[in-house]
Amino acid sequence: MGTAGMTIAEKILARASGSSRVRAGDEIKARPDFVIAYDFPGYTDTIFRQMKEDFNVDKVADPERFALFIDHMVPAIAPHEEKLHKITRDWGAAQGVPVYERMGIGHQVAAEIGYATPGAFVVHFDGHISQLGTYGALAIGVRRHLLEAFVKERIQLKVPRTTLVELSGKPGPGVMARDVFHHIVRELGPSACRFHVLEIAGPALEHISLEGRQTITCLAMFTGAITAIIDPDDTSLAYSLPRARIKLEPVYSDGNADYAAVHRVDVSGLAPIVVIPPSPANTRNLTDYEGIEVQVGYLGSCASGRLEDLRIAAQVLKGHHIAPGFQLHVVPTSQAIMKAAAAEGIITELVEAGAFVSSSSCDYCFGRMGVMDEGQRAVSTGTLNVRGRMGSPDSEIFLMNAAAVAASAIEGRIADPRKYL
Amino acid sequence: MHLTRLRGRVAFIFGEADFDVDQIVGVKNIKLKDPAELAAVAMQEYDAAFAASIKPGDILVGNHNFGYGHPHYPPMIAMRHLGIAAVVAESFSPGYWRGEIAMGFPQATCPGVLANVSRWDEVEIDWDNYTFHNHTTGKSLAIEPLSEGDRQMLACGGLIGYLKARDREEA
Repeated sequence: MGTAGMTIAEKILARASGSSRVRAGDEIKARPDFVIAYDFPGYTDTIFRQMKEDFNVDKVADPERFALFIDHMVPAIAPHEEKLHKITRDWGAAQGVPVYERMGIGHQVAAEIGYATPGAFVVHFDGHISQLGTYGALAIGVRRHLLEAFVKERIQLKVPRTTLVELSGKPGPGVMARDVFHHIVRELGPSACRFHVLEIAGPALEHISLEGRQTITCLAMFTGAITAIIDPDDTSLAYSLPRARIKLEPVYSDGNADYAAVHRVDVSGLAPIVVIPPSPANTRNLTDYEGIEVQVGYLGSCASGRLEDLRIAAQVLKGHHIAPGFQLHVVPTSQAIMKAAAAEGIITELVEAGAFVSSSSCDYCFGRMGVMDEGQRAVSTGTLNVRGRMGSPDSEIFLMNAAAVAASAIEGRIADPRKYL
Repeated sequence: MHLTRLRGRVAFIFGEADFDVDQIVGVKNIKLKDPAELAAVAMQEYDAAFAASIKPGDILVGNHNFGYGHPHYPPMIAMRHLGIAAVVAESFSPGYWRGEIAMGFPQATCPGVLANVSRWDEVEIDWDNYTFHNHTTGKSLAIEPLSEGDRQMLACGGLIGYLKARDREEA
């Protein structure tokens, strides 16, 4: 009997807390390598004020660890929104903290510009930062506890347990990373990983792009997990290492690491999934919901809206036009993705098919733009389908992959994308 | 750190697993800020007489994964305004848990609670022994121990108090 090994999450937290070894359950104080936030009322403006007024902290320690994104309320539609952005820009300038504005959704841009450093410990208030786990970073959304990272160099936490999900099989055409994630929720239940790190591994990852892995890790919270992580591999390191902002040795889970649970999930033969309103737990086979009338489509968000999503939507729409009166909002996850899609001709194809393409912003996902009236229904690649997320509390959201959103846009009804591929 | 025992009546039992707390005030009211306004709209879908029936110190009971979805703060701002002192549930969704602990609002994870309480039972949370007593039935159950950080945060009345205590400790 040797000593149990460590999970990748334990190794990252061991280094961040200055220990050679930590175990799940240990109480530690860990120094985040990166502290990330987007400006949002009640979060950043409050943190800036509390830091000064309640804790007399004029400057954050090591400002190069901090990053601020302006991705919500972009573009501003009211003076108070622009005022919030101005507070953020001014605070960043005074602190020496970079503010990234209008580059896209921060969780995606963070990966593009090197905050997804393999082995890094990252905190944000928003849980979808978990997607940096695609590159072997441990990125946790801590809600208002983020203040702790602004006023203390180290934050207190209990080392989380890890649940391992080993994916096998190869998804078929028209079945995407989103379906893999929703299938995990269906197989394990929406609370299987409560307070755990969700570690994703297995041979199926070879068939899932980095973009797709970001979709899966982005949505980890709907399994109850506090974040998700994947051991680095050649593919992810080829992306992350040249961009990495700090020099860290990538770490990997030991073969004999101690997991709370190990689940094997086969994705071969998987069919497209729809998540019906009003809960991300409501995973169903899309074929059982074909034909339901829908008026709005949203292809975007920090979960989806990347190049492969835009590409497959264009492929589905090729030779078709969206249904009369249907509103299809396409919002690439970042401006870099928008540029790549334009260069590939995808944007032209989407526009020709009747899509309304907008610059990258979080605003379509949380009901600030493109909102629905009561009685309307959307097909969406957004993060969430709770009541009122995209407008009236009496509108409904059906979550699905990008191909299915495009197919549904053609028919004005929930449609199986596989017949268009 | 010492945490005061909480004793009160079971004011309501949310039997639904994965309960979305936003339903307490209704999504259409989720942008309200004033605690009194929030309290006035709370629980209308569940029990219109709820507000009038609450005594300070009453406790809510929930099922598994309480707070799942995209929890906002207003529902529990309303509950605290009405006098609710804590939530005891089979288990909690981490985002909800973290948010409410930061507000200094006690949450206790108590496997088996749902089968062992009825509405208006007199119950007590004992944080020193991590037990939940139902004084009406005489039954006791274990509650899951709090992490050190959570315990300190509750003892200090929330995130700000906790960080100020750390300031004093480190000074």
